[in-house]
Amino acid sequence: METHTSSRAIDGANYKEVDIEMPPLLEVRDLVKYFPVYSKGIFRKKIVGKVHAVDHISFTVNERETVGLVGESGCGKTTTGKLILYLEKPSSGQIFFDGKDVVQTFSKGSKEEQLKLRRSMQMVFQNPYASLDPRMTVYDIISEPFKIHRHIPSNEWKDRVYKLLEMVGLEPYHAERYPHEFSGGQRQRICIARALAVEPRFIIADEPVSSLDVSIRAQILNLIMELQEKLGMSYLYISHDLSSVRQISQRVIVMYLGEIVEQAPTTKLFDNPVHPYTRALMSAVPIPDPKRKMNVIILPGEVPSPINPPSGCRFHPRCQYADQKCKEEKPSFSQVDVDHFVSCHYWHKFA
Amino acid sequence: MGLAKYIIRRAIYMVPLIIGISLVSFLVMYAAGDPIQLATAGNPSITEAQRQFLREYYGLNDPIPVQYLRWLDHFIHGDFGKSLYGGRPVNEIISSLVWETAKLQLISILLAFFISIPAGVYSAVKQRSAADYTVSSVAIFGISVPVFWFGIVLILVFSYYLGWLPSAGAHGAPYLWPVFGIKNEFLDELAHLVLPVTVLTFANLAYNVRLLRAGMLEVLRQDYILAARASGIPERKILYKYALKNAITPLLTLLGLSIGTMLAGAPVTETVFSWPGLGRAYVTASLRLDFPLIMGITMIITIMILIANLVTDLVYAWVDPRVTID
Repeated sequence: METHTSSRAIDGANYKEVDIEMPPLLEVRDLVKYFPVYSKGIFRKKIVGKVHAVDHISFTVNERETVGLVGESGCGKTTTGKLILYLEKPSSGQIFFDGKDVVQTFSKGSKEEQLKLRRSMQMVFQNPYASLDPRMTVYDIISEPFKIHRHIPSNEWKDRVYKLLEMVGLEPYHAERYPHEFSGGQRQRICIARALAVEPRFIIADEPVSSLDVSIRAQILNLIMELQEKLGMSYLYISHDLSSVRQISQRVIVMYLGEIVEQAPTTKLFDNPVHPYTRALMSAVPIPDPKRKMNVIILPGEVPSPINPPSGCRFHPRCQYADQKCKEEKPSFSQVDVDHFVSCHYWHKFA
Repeated sequence: MGLAKYIIRRAIYMVPLIIGISLVSFLVMYAAGDPIQLATAGNPSITEAQRQFLREYYGLNDPIPVQYLRWLDHFIHGDFGKSLYGGRPVNEIISSLVWETAKLQLISILLAFFISIPAGVYSAVKQRSAADYTVSSVAIFGISVPVFWFGIVLILVFSYYLGWLPSAGAHGAPYLWPVFGIKNEFLDELAHLVLPVTVLTFANLAYNVRLLRAGMLEVLRQDYILAARASGIPERKILYKYALKNAITPLLTLLGLSIGTMLAGAPVTETVFSWPGLGRAYVTASLRLDFPLIMGITMIITIMILIANLVTDLVYAWVDPRVTID
């Protein structure tokens, strides 16, 4: 890992100048996940509907890039993360990681290929209180992947665990403790160390800071960014917190009710949000200046049920600009700029 | 570490508990009536003078505090006195019955515990499947069906109609029960165990399976299970190592409680199968107000429960690092 790490670290320093033509590290094509809804019967379950959790989404994540995935709770962000790791089975669609077909590998591939994929992608979960086994010491938690992947000789496990702890800002003596002896921020550091234990290239961070104290958030975000520079990591950063997304990601994808409505580089999206939903989201980001007036766009109504999503543009019942066309016709992606895409019939009005 | 110290401290706390429980039992028994009157009620040839003699003989005419202190003094010296019926020493009665009850109960409790693990895990993993509903239905049947009814049905089918298994008692000696034509004492004992063990296991199993299923469902929702899957740990290992370790605590509590109460646990089953055990003796003694025997069995059960609670607490601290003993 020594040479590996250092070579990546050198490259990692210029990650912003990554060649656009390089094939993406992760490519999601037309990904769909429907959850069946069962009737209330006791003995016979009947499927009476489906939750459109993720509905035909496509996007890419490049090497050494952080992509922010934002949207309200229940819009399918977390499901997307789980689908990429095959923790949930996609209903349809394709996922390619470094050219390898993830869905094929996990449904039909050999054990070794599956383990190889498991080693390249990891996830950090939202709630650090639920994502560490309370019966295991930190050492056992972090060294567990070593037993599965055998990428490190067992006499080096201890050193490696200490090194990982150090990398995430913890001390070697923490290894013998149990999760309940740590604070939320420390637990999230342990979760990150566990994710790093397999030496992954890509980490899905599912709201890693939203359950943490505000004062701890910046520390964890800095740690995530620091690890990217050191190890050349790529991230899919899932969050509803736009300030942290702005701080950490190079590109942002906005989801609404299982669909992508807009995607663009961070600065473009924050400076020039086009989709009415994105504009409403952006207007709600608090400005740390009491003298400036905020013009928050209040969306009428609630997020509709993903079991019966609205026709046409899914956002139309809450959109003040919507008309008959929005109700009937599903908008396709329009290109606002070279790397800025939006799914709205009237995007040119807002661009 | 203070493990020995902890155990000693807990043992010291047990003393006032044991004294308190014995005092309450003693008073309740005294309030229940006159055992001599009860014992001689059906016998017209007994005179009041003879009754008075018996009361004097068993010390029932002394003031209650005196009676209690005398009982306590004997208890501390390990003597529970003599039964009012037949005059056999209580210690002897208990020691002749305790093994039969313990054998029946321990086998059933452990069998239920170990069967419930795969059944509970399976029905949690296959939640809402036909298999889950089957396991749940069997479990609910086990909880709701009365032991006396189920026991009698088993006797009727397997002893009376089929003649495969003995219907009563713990031993057939001197007439050993033939198992596949072979007669020996061990097989005879096994044959006598089958039906009562089936009834008791069934009743215990139900609670175990339901508890484990609920626990597993809760644990399998946790993110650390997803994290384990994401790092490629095989599903079997995730279920039986990671999830089970977290879901089994309520089952251990139940196991501790069952072992604690096992000596008094199955009076109905023992009665249905005429099992020579403590549970049945306890019920008979209570009906006859045979106070030395009642007090004897009560104290044995009390001490068993206290010890089982202590052991359960120690096991808890051993399996769950969040629990500390001090």
